[in-house]
Amino acid sequence: MIDVPQTITEKILARAGGVDSVRPGQNLPFRPDHMIAYDFPGYTDVMFRQMHEDFGITELAEPERYLVFIDHMLTKGDAKERDIHKVTRDWCEFYGVTLHEAEGIGHQVTAELGYALPGRFLIHFDGHVSGLGAFGALGWGVRRDLLEAWVSGQIYLDVPATVRFDLTGQFRPGVDNRDLIHAIIGRLGADGCAHQVMEFGGPGAESMSIDRRQGLCGMAMFTGAVSAIFNPDRTALDYAAAVARGPYEPVASDPDAEYSSRHTFDLSAIEPQVVLPGSARSANTRGVSELDSTEVTKAFIGSCASGRIEDIRSAAELLRGRRVAESVELNVVPTSAEIHRQAEQEGLLDVLRSAGANIHTSSCDFCFGYQKPLQPGEKCISTGVLNISGRMGSTKSEIYMGSASTVAASALTGKITDPREVMAS
Amino acid sequence: MSGYPPPPDVIHGRVAWIFGDDFDVDLIIGVENIKYYDADVLREVTMKAYDPHFVDRVRPGDVIVGGRNFGYGHPHYPPLVALRNLGVSAVIAESFSPGFWRGETYNGMPLITAPGITDHVQRWDPVEVDWRKARVSLPATGTTLEGTPPSERVTKIIEAGGSLRLLLAEHRR
Repeated sequence: MIDVPQTITEKILARAGGVDSVRPGQNLPFRPDHMIAYDFPGYTDVMFRQMHEDFGITELAEPERYLVFIDHMLTKGDAKERDIHKVTRDWCEFYGVTLHEAEGIGHQVTAELGYALPGRFLIHFDGHVSGLGAFGALGWGVRRDLLEAWVSGQIYLDVPATVRFDLTGQFRPGVDNRDLIHAIIGRLGADGCAHQVMEFGGPGAESMSIDRRQGLCGMAMFTGAVSAIFNPDRTALDYAAAVARGPYEPVASDPDAEYSSRHTFDLSAIEPQVVLPGSARSANTRGVSELDSTEVTKAFIGSCASGRIEDIRSAAELLRGRRVAESVELNVVPTSAEIHRQAEQEGLLDVLRSAGANIHTSSCDFCFGYQKPLQPGEKCISTGVLNISGRMGSTKSEIYMGSASTVAASALTGKITDPREVMAS
Repeated sequence: MSGYPPPPDVIHGRVAWIFGDDFDVDLIIGVENIKYYDADVLREVTMKAYDPHFVDRVRPGDVIVGGRNFGYGHPHYPPLVALRNLGVSAVIAESFSPGFWRGETYNGMPLITAPGITDHVQRWDPVEVDWRKARVSLPATGTTLEGTPPSERVTKIIEAGGSLRLLLAEHRR
């Protein structure tokens, strides 16, 4: 057998496909290590019913490969919430599937609990599972095709080509992964990596903490990518060793692996980016200075793309000894219960409370307009994942997106603000 | 389950509308309506922002045409349900956004990537689509465009009338 140079993505898929190697464009069935969902009306309740009633499945061959989270719809305590979560608990109990309830946002908890290990292949109906690429795992959002995996144990996918991002330098203070992803979209466009995997490497990639990598990979879909991934280095392997449940086989791209294209980004040259209401397309992406007179009434730090300890540290550093503008309500949601505890221990949440921020229990509820929905006419600056019309409440409200630092700085002044100006003052 | 039968081998129709690049399908029914599945509600709102008489003009077999990255955004299912209720039988685009492509392929909608399509068609041009070959014939100009044919698996999904029907045939116990 001739050894074909492979990317990390191709190696992971080759193993999951039970073949020696794969080539971009091949369509094959793959066997995910974990098949994940969060409960949500119209999604999981339908799948649960289909599996039992339509497919007649009464027993799962490998229940340990299924993983279910309750992380949406946790903050009203009404009958609708109780009903949907009861359906989920009953289903998980019936099939012997592990359920994680109210421990935080599933895409984060999956990592904390050691499911997202280097070399593993994980699918979810939600595309933000790509954040698990931070650990050298491949996380792929497959929408309704999750049902295929749940009923058959495998899923047919087209092997994606890989776009390589060579990162140099380091982020300057006040700049982070959020600014990088929007800078990438700004340069390559909203379909710049369409149907492909983004692979990050180089000294800039190695300089990034796990939190920064998760936030970056979790936003891959806005370049059109199906996922994003880092080759596991010491940072990722140390994390994995601390949380691992069961064996795993780290793999990495061969030096002569083939990429569909390569792009270099100098992290030290990235400026804070803000996205205009509507979508994260390149035409909506601006340097923060272009928007610095835009007033906001709401500010949100959280979601699966932010709200991690590094994001909370950034916000606390900016707001320490300061006070959020009278005209602004700042809401902060740590990404998981574990992060909430850590932020409390580090005194960060007290700093934020003293600055006037509201701290909330970890869930997905702010990001999709379920908790404290935006009212008509409100303008929010957010670290959430989406700013389409109506995403966080009224279709007549507006959502700008930026990093936790930019959101904190903007909350302080009441208008969109370059965090570096606040840091310098 | 998808309520739509599989497409014929060759779809005959007209180009009912041409959208631009990065088109967000939620706009077909308006973002305020993206949670409705009721056929009557959808008919009331479909394409109103583009052609108020669209629902009366479109015929079964007609197709819609898109530019680059068709389906970009956070696509919901009702907009394509609304179009399929009216008989729209395929989408032909320069390219598709991955999330949209996956979701609508699951639902059994033929999606044909045909680079150059937007330069070659005008509204209401007749069109023939051999979806298995990703071949689009335009009798008005004698032009034929060919994209990449669907994989064997996707061909089976479309033939079955959607992924759920195929999976039931394969895995029902």
